[in-house]
Amino acid sequence: MSNQLNDYSAGSVNWRNTLQQNSRRTFVVIAVFFAIYIALGLLVDTYIASGMYPKAPLESIFYALVTFQIFPLATTVMVIVAGISLWVTYTFSDQLMLLGTDYHEITAENASTPAEKQLYNVVEEMRIAAGLQYMPKVYIINADYMNAFASGYSEKSAMMAITRGLMEKLDRDELQAVMAHELSHIRHLDIKLTLTASLLANLTLMVLDMFFYTAMYSNRSNDSKSRNNLALIIILLRYLLPLINIVLLLYLSRSRELMADAGCVELTRNNEPLARALIKISSDYSQNSDAYTDAHKETPHENVRREAYIFDPTQAGIKYMGSVNDLFSTHPSLEKRLEALGYKRKD
Amino acid sequence: MSLIILILLVAILGFGILTYNRLISQIEAVRNNSKQIDIQLDRRFKVFESLINVVKKYMDYEQTTLKDVVALRSQAVAAHASGNESARIEAENKISAIAGGLNLVFEQYPDLKANQNCMQLQEEIVSTENKLAFAKQSYNDSIEIYNANKKSFPANVVVSAFKQKLDVDFPYWQLSEAKVAEQESYTVKL
Repeated sequence: MSNQLNDYSAGSVNWRNTLQQNSRRTFVVIAVFFAIYIALGLLVDTYIASGMYPKAPLESIFYALVTFQIFPLATTVMVIVAGISLWVTYTFSDQLMLLGTDYHEITAENASTPAEKQLYNVVEEMRIAAGLQYMPKVYIINADYMNAFASGYSEKSAMMAITRGLMEKLDRDELQAVMAHELSHIRHLDIKLTLTASLLANLTLMVLDMFFYTAMYSNRSNDSKSRNNLALIIILLRYLLPLINIVLLLYLSRSRELMADAGCVELTRNNEPLARALIKISSDYSQNSDAYTDAHKETPHENVRREAYIFDPTQAGIKYMGSVNDLFSTHPSLEKRLEALGYKRKD
Repeated sequence: MSLIILILLVAILGFGILTYNRLISQIEAVRNNSKQIDIQLDRRFKVFESLINVVKKYMDYEQTTLKDVVALRSQAVAAHASGNESARIEAENKISAIAGGLNLVFEQYPDLKANQNCMQLQEEIVSTENKLAFAKQSYNDSIEIYNANKKSFPANVVVSAFKQKLDVDFPYWQLSEAKVAEQESYTVKL
């Protein structure tokens, strides 16, 4: 696939609109995650209560639970567990992102080469454009493939990292666009959001699993009819919910990518450099696909960075995760992103 | 019934407080961003001052070095022509001593070092100008957010209740009409 900016007709982009639209989508996704979690809690409570009141129909038990006539103990415990796990994750996640890579930090003082100095300047410019109160830490990862990611949401944890390959192969404007995209992830609190969503998704599956085995291996002979109905729902959920979770998480991560692209246009007021950079990165991955596959495979813990990368390597056919994850991209396709940036492919 | 009214009152009060606080922080953001322009103007002045000094010193250094080298070189050539080998070697050695003071890259590619310095200067100038422009942009963006919020319903009800504190008129950063016309017709003359 030949890919050059000339293959696309240029247009403008309404970044305000894109930002609004995708933050609405995010709100819906996060609300659905919470709703699923609470609903599962109530389901567990209904199951427990139906053991205590074998004669009562499910509807009246459920009604009694939501009106607190029966205290929804399982739901409460689950909410507390989720709260604590979220707090722990927020506190300790900032050290996670660079795991397994060979990196060094760039500061205003230690930037030695002109390229490093330029990188630092570019980030600082974007920080000023964003009106951000603090300067994120800047890291260079010693790797040939072109990629970058950001993490964190506060002065202590905010960081952006780019590979040496990216720093060397992009021109100043393109580098600026990529860093603006990354800074937008920090401004939009994307890391916090992704952490919240994936944690809730995992907790839901854990609770469901425990619930499933308890329901399956409990003494079935003296179960009431309503309990048997519940068991059916549980079996159904156990196979359906993981799929729903994956779809929701992918939808969330794709919306956030489009938002960060729009945020880049907001900061640089120019849609062309990001389009150029994305095409450059994508074709670079296709051209060096073998070497980069090895490089990604040899780097441990790539899965923690995948969603944060500016470009998802699996889109260039790089199968480094070695699982079903390679099939679904966490990012919108290049065409979709370019279209959102105002670049439509010419026929 | 009275409970519903109470809840409604609390909700309205809560909304009022939230809106008030949000507007206040937006006003302060605009003020801070306007100061950011001053900071960047100040920075530009200082950076360019020091850049000019560095360039001057560097140029002086280059020029005297170059003069020395040229002089020694012609001495060496003259000595070679007149068959005075020891004078030639002495002159060549002096050139080597000067070159030893410079770094190896400069010795091998005479125009590279000057060129790289030039590129670094260029980068510093571009970045400084960008920072100033982005500071202005950020200032205007914060005004946009504040104005849109201030004028929208129902926030404007809260604003009219606290006009003194919440209704500030910030002008967007912009060029004068005359300046715009002047810049518009500007073309690069090479």
